[in-house]
Amino acid sequence: MNDIKFAVEARGLIKRYKNADHPALDSFTLKVSQGEFFGLLGPNGAGKTTALSILCGLLPPDDGTVYILGMAPEQQATKIKQILSVVPQEIALYNKLTARENLTFFGKMYGLRGDRLRARIKRCLEIAGLTDSADQPVSTCSGGIRRRLNLVAALLNEPAVLFLDEPTVGIDAQSRRLIHRQLQTINRQGTTILYTTHYLEEAGELCGRIGIIDNGRLIEEGRPDDLLSTSNSRTLDELFLHLTGTQLRDA
Amino acid sequence: MSRIITIAGKELRLLGRDRAGLLVLFLMPAILVVIITLVQTNVMQRSGLVKTRALFLDLDGQAVGSALYKLLNTENLHLVGGNKKEKTAFDLEKAVRNGKYQVGIVVPKGSTKILRRNIAHLFAKPAQKNEKTPLEKVRLKVFFDPGIMPGLRAGITARLQMAVQTLSFEAKFSALEEVLKKASAELNVPAEGSPLPAAGLRELLVRPVFSLSDNAATVPSKSGGYNPVQQNVIAWALFGIFFTAIPIAGTMIKERVSAISDRLATLPVTPLQLFAGKIAAYVAVCLCQFLLIALLGACLFPHLGLPAFTVTENPAGILLIVLLSSLAACCYGIFLGTACKSFEQASTIGATTVVATAAIGGVMVPVYAMPDIMQRISIISPMNWGLNAGQSLLMRGSSLAAISPDLYRLALFCLLMIVLSRLQQNR
Repeated sequence: MNDIKFAVEARGLIKRYKNADHPALDSFTLKVSQGEFFGLLGPNGAGKTTALSILCGLLPPDDGTVYILGMAPEQQATKIKQILSVVPQEIALYNKLTARENLTFFGKMYGLRGDRLRARIKRCLEIAGLTDSADQPVSTCSGGIRRRLNLVAALLNEPAVLFLDEPTVGIDAQSRRLIHRQLQTINRQGTTILYTTHYLEEAGELCGRIGIIDNGRLIEEGRPDDLLSTSNSRTLDELFLHLTGTQLRDA
Repeated sequence: MSRIITIAGKELRLLGRDRAGLLVLFLMPAILVVIITLVQTNVMQRSGLVKTRALFLDLDGQAVGSALYKLLNTENLHLVGGNKKEKTAFDLEKAVRNGKYQVGIVVPKGSTKILRRNIAHLFAKPAQKNEKTPLEKVRLKVFFDPGIMPGLRAGITARLQMAVQTLSFEAKFSALEEVLKKASAELNVPAEGSPLPAAGLRELLVRPVFSLSDNAATVPSKSGGYNPVQQNVIAWALFGIFFTAIPIAGTMIKERVSAISDRLATLPVTPLQLFAGKIAAYVAVCLCQFLLIALLGACLFPHLGLPAFTVTENPAGILLIVLLSSLAACCYGIFLGTACKSFEQASTIGATTVVATAAIGGVMVPVYAMPDIMQRISIISPMNWGLNAGQSLLMRGSSLAAISPDLYRLALFCLLMIVLSRLQQNR
């Protein structure tokens, strides 16, 4: 039995896509403790999304093992799905449904019903500041509202582990600030968060620990301040470029 | 189960807000069934598959005209009396040439008089006959629609000849009877001594001595028999039903592109529950489609001069066929949704395969009218299985056991599509 002090544990993950020159993940190993806010950073094509997809069970690894709160996805997938939530990078919502209808649908998929479901939806709409636009079709909402709704749809089951894949892409400072605050609150309430982002400043502000992934491997991890001091870097941007180089990755 | 109901509810809500999608699903098959049925009715009238309409212009107005009308106005030939709009042979010819009627028959003025004169001449005493004067014939005129099938034309001509022969024999036998009566009286021959009965000879001679049994009589009387409405309602309802494969594939691709499928994959719901929810919603849509088309057939068609669609026998059997065909269409849509990379790809492949299977399956042209090779190929079309089963129930009065092979094929097709979809998802 695996040690349950880790909320997320990946051991030696290997993933190779067809016709790719290099593996997307190459012996990727990661440990995130319970209640931690962990940021996973990396340049484009470094393997962030592949790692996240394997960790949340969307993609099977070619090799290696994953544990979520000590449970292996291949053995206890249903249990893991009850306590884990994912916020995809894309707006994963039904455009023709209203915010409330989207939340009702996803809530019912978690098995929520009746007063419990209504209470959770009310809470999620409050978190996202969407009480007034709850009955508006998603297609007519602004980008910021959609992003916030995309986030709170993953909070319906009050997850123990929350994965977020660049949840603040393309939104204004106000919406980003609201999302940051809500994530910090959720984390303080005990939810483990694994967060991928390109905004290094954001990661430094939010995450207790960060990991930098490149070429499918975790090349550095630690508290942001510790990493800066040990590498003699002034900013996380400088540290990031120092570790991953200045060459364009998607050229 | 509650998750499946939730997914089905969500699908129906999304579809309800997609006006274009609803139009394609409901209006397209409804329009097609009306147009094609009207078109096919015309074709079937020309080929004799339905009652042929013949315009009968009786300018004689006496015994020959009325006797011919009685002899010709039978099961498959519907005689319409002229003399109202079409007063002359020219008017009648014009009406037939314009395709209003398939056949036009003119009984010329004085036909009864000519027939009587001819019969009287045939049985006159040699001294009374003027052999030098040629007999004037009763000249009936027949006009055929140029587009009529040769077989139907030959059949109608044969029926006309038979009617004319019958009239001619009856007239001759009546005259012969009279001659014999007179001769017996003149020669004082007692009735029992005559080799032929003087009275009732005509009835005796025209009494039929052959019988011809029609195999169609073995069809149970309740079944509707072959007509374009029974053929097309089930055929185009199936076409519309199979078209739902495209919107189902579309919803799956939209979910994949917008990462909703990724979100769903992380929720405590299985892929089979997701499939089942979609299938349940769209099967309900398919049943509504069928109901709409059946109602059109039953209520609107009679107002368009077409027979009404009827399901007098085994409505549960028809429901089972529609249900299994709907399941097959939905499962095909699920497969398209997992196999195609974009909505454009799914709509092109979906539309092409649905139209092709409809054509092969006998929706557009009945299978029996296809070349041999196409008839053999038609067995691979799921629409053919549904159509064949439906026609067997509606037109041949078959039992559920008789159509079970087609039902099993539809069920197996569903299973195959779901297995292929899961394999495709796992790739």
